[in-house]
Amino acid sequence: MAKQFGVSDAALDGLKDPGHHPFPPEQKAAVLFADAMTDGPGHVPDPVYQELRRHFSEAQIVEIACVIGLFNYFNRFNNALHVEITLTDPDVIVRRVEEAATAGTPVADFCDRVAEILRQGRRYVRVGIYQRDKDRLVLRAWRGPAPPPASLRLGEGDVGATGQSGVTRVAGSALVVPVLAGSAVVGVIEVESDRSAAIEEEDRPLVERIATVLAARLT
Amino acid sequence: MGRISRLRPDQVAADIRSLFETFLRERGNIPNMFRTAAHRPEILGTMLAHFRTVMGPGTVPVALKEMLAVRVSRINSCDY
Repeated sequence: MAKQFGVSDAALDGLKDPGHHPFPPEQKAAVLFADAMTDGPGHVPDPVYQELRRHFSEAQIVEIACVIGLFNYFNRFNNALHVEITLTDPDVIVRRVEEAATAGTPVADFCDRVAEILRQGRRYVRVGIYQRDKDRLVLRAWRGPAPPPASLRLGEGDVGATGQSGVTRVAGSALVVPVLAGSAVVGVIEVESDRSAAIEEEDRPLVERIATVLAARLT
Repeated sequence: MGRISRLRPDQVAADIRSLFETFLRERGNIPNMFRTAAHRPEILGTMLAHFRTVMGPGTVPVALKEMLAVRVSRINSCDY
């Protein structure tokens, strides 16, 4: 959500280790205040408060402390009651993919957009989108900790097997779905989730719907 | 699995349902925390009102408030 409110990727990355990121001084003061207020019972040392006060009015500090307090409340509620991460409604994901499909974008850009919509909406650990080129499947877009192979032979691994058979495979927490134009395989979508329980009943129908939208662009 | 059941829009009273529908329209989901809190509708109502007031436009930039939310959630190992 933060990105759509104007927080840059660099700032989001910097929040992993704010002591070593060149935040503007007022942002750094607020973040260090958040750290002190969140760590343990929230006894903020005087120097941390004084630096905050140099940059913000009393009203602004009340607002900042409310944000930090509110998220500590929400986080602790969610952690204590095991409230699961919220996923985007499948119908909304399909609609977003359809909107991206009609925008007239190049295939690689469209695939990249679909990979991002899937990763973000369903919190997949990995996403790979492949396009068929004769007897190979060529990687068009991916998300995850490391890039998958740039190209696979039909029959090679789970992705290649689905490319050959045209049949969806569920392998543990991974789901491999063919993109079909009639009976011909024109591509493959692979996703991996850390919620393997929901793969069959929730993720499979969703990714198969996405595959039908993708089919029109991969042929 | 959550420890507390999450209520669906068809399981809540009309006023809460319209709040849920607003979420669905604006962000494509209903946060599980709010579906959980819906077991106590009066609390959910003021929780949402407080959330919007605190996180909406005020005296500091909304982007800074989002950064603080991300940072706090990270420290608390909570996937915001």
